[in-house]
Amino acid sequence: MANKRVLVKRRKAVRNIRKITRTMQLIATARFQAAMARATASKPYAEKLAELVADLSESAEQISHPLMETHEDVKRSILLIITSMRGLCGGYNAGVLRTAIGHLDSQENKGVESDVHMVGKKGVGYFRFLKRSMAEQITHIGEVPSFEDTEPIANGFMDRFSKGEVASVHVAHMRFLSAGRQRPAVIQLLPLVQEPSADADAAAPKGPKADFEFSPEPAELLGDLLPATVRVRLLQCFNDATVSEHIARMVAMKAATDAAEDMITMLSRKYNRARQTQITMELLDIVGGADALS
Amino acid sequence: MARTDTFHCSVITPGRPVLECEATALVFPAHDGEMGILRDRAPITCKLGIGALRVEATDKTHTFFIDRGFAQVVDNKVTILTEQAKRPEEIDADAARTALDAAHEMKITDDASFVARSDAIRRAEKQIAMTRGA
Repeated sequence: MANKRVLVKRRKAVRNIRKITRTMQLIATARFQAAMARATASKPYAEKLAELVADLSESAEQISHPLMETHEDVKRSILLIITSMRGLCGGYNAGVLRTAIGHLDSQENKGVESDVHMVGKKGVGYFRFLKRSMAEQITHIGEVPSFEDTEPIANGFMDRFSKGEVASVHVAHMRFLSAGRQRPAVIQLLPLVQEPSADADAAAPKGPKADFEFSPEPAELLGDLLPATVRVRLLQCFNDATVSEHIARMVAMKAATDAAEDMITMLSRKYNRARQTQITMELLDIVGGADALS
Repeated sequence: MARTDTFHCSVITPGRPVLECEATALVFPAHDGEMGILRDRAPITCKLGIGALRVEATDKTHTFFIDRGFAQVVDNKVTILTEQAKRPEEIDADAARTALDAAHEMKITDDASFVARSDAIRRAEKQIAMTRGA
């Protein structure tokens, strides 16, 4: 008898959980769409900037800039790890952190020390648990990474890099490939490398380029463009991470809702069976009693 | 009838494209002074300074406070890339005044700090002027 009661209680509990996970899934979907719109809105700037850099590097014979130099002899580098502020997003943080630690280990094998700059409470918690040191913990950037948030971070990195304190700056984050595919990745922010993207190929066969007037000289312009490129690339990393986080949460919550549904079906079946058993037993009791009387 | 004296203008910040319109004239603060653009301007790529960007669109005039960036003019398309573009009504005049006071307090020790101080003063003064003028 008690069994039946327990089953009813559990089914109720699972139903409540399903209600919560379903809501969270809906919220994640809405947030994902908003984040996606923001990420798309920031694309034109990055694209135009890349175009300008490409135009300029054609005009300036030789590009040399402090941000493009390699410091081979410096045995220190920076890794920025972008994790989420909240949990319940499936393997999102685990994926990023695993990739990040893989990168840290490979740097260590090369004899390079790494300063870890951690974004997000989840990563901070994990590194504390591992008792690994962090140079900086950034937990003020919320769900909406804005340019104003990421700019000082990028400027700080560029400052340290051009002073020759660090050999490289990498960013570990969840890279957004498509709505169905995200991959944890470590990308190199500094020294700056030209993006070997499809854009360059697409831009090439445009025919004769306009004969630009430059003010000031191309080399000087480039000197200002490159830091802007670094800043916007960092912003894009953050945008990618946010979009991916919402997708991860959506998927995780969908799985949880589905699992809850399965569990409810199973519990209902068990409950029905228990109820049937009880009725049968009661009937048997009655029949047995009647038999005994006659 | 379509007007023949206009060109396309877009103002883009890292966050989002701020303005897309057809314009008849445009004035931006270049790094070495203001520069005006009309239709059929020869291609130019230019570094921007701090100040007011004015776009005479076909229907109205848009004004923005911009803080550095780049402008590109090619084929009657003007693209303004800037990390900050604020409309006059978005400027916080009190914050700008506080920033101006802070800027005057800045100590000059070398060339870099001199530039930083004059930039900060310029930034604040321009914003204050724009809140008044608009």
